Amino acid sequence: MAIDRAHLGYALPPFTVEVTAARIALFLKAIGADDGPQDVAPPTFMKAVEGEQNSSRRILDALGVDLRRVLHAEQQFDYLGPIRAGDHLQVQRTVSDLYDKKNGAIDFIVIESTVSHAERGLLGRSRQVVLVRNAQPAAGSTS
Amino acid sequence: MTLASAQPGDLVAEYQTGPIPREQLALYAEASGDSNPLHLDPAFAQKAGFGDVIVHGMLGMALLGRLLSTQFAAFTLTRFDARFIAVLPVGASLRCTATLAAATADGWTLALEAFDSSGKPIIVGTAAVKNPS
Repeated sequence: MAIDRAHLGYALPPFTVEVTAARIALFLKAIGADDGPQDVAPPTFMKAVEGEQNSSRRILDALGVDLRRVLHAEQQFDYLGPIRAGDHLQVQRTVSDLYDKKNGAIDFIVIESTVSHAERGLLGRSRQVVLVRNAQPAAGSTS
Repeated sequence: MTLASAQPGDLVAEYQTGPIPREQLALYAEASGDSNPLHLDPAFAQKAGFGDVIVHGMLGMALLGRLLSTQFAAFTLTRFDARFIAVLPVGASLRCTATLAAATADGWTLALEAFDSSGKPIIVGTAAVKNPS
């Protein structure tokens, strides 16, 4: 079933994330980084920040999307400043585009997020494209 | 090889991961907050049409990002993007490469690729780095 285009512009209420040293350490361990403790978060940690409070699941639920049908198609980060242990960050996430391909067999959801610090300002922007397989894929097909 | 002396098309960094085990997917789910059962629950993954759980695209991107963190730590990363071309099953490994795409007025653009063990592209992306200001 196609996603209702009325969801374009859907935004979660902004939320605050505390970045602890332990949080960064756990992420580093999960990605196999064994360079020792680091004060600055690695590049894709922004995804963990914006994903706090189960935010991605909440957006997909609001759009009525079945999790079995989603794949992450694209991800882009723009970095304006480092994310550091001890930061309290403000996150905003908005559904900025909805489109389909293959006569509606595949829907795309674009979610744009910003991560900001009260004193240091905007630290990063994220743009995520989620692919939703509406029709059963042919055997062996993944996209 | 340093970026300053590299020519467009030169391989400037590469990195081979080990097999990505189930435990790492569970750890990444906890660390990232992405608890989609496609990455954790084989029965759910099979209902979604896969043989077993699949590696989080973002874990693959993070492994690709290790190239940037380890090889280009002296530079400031300004942009990092990725397209997830194919799914990677649990237990597979990735070979990650960075090729110089272009030298620009304020830095360098790198073409990034992650391949499975058969050489099939799994993730392609770009990164922009510059000298620290």
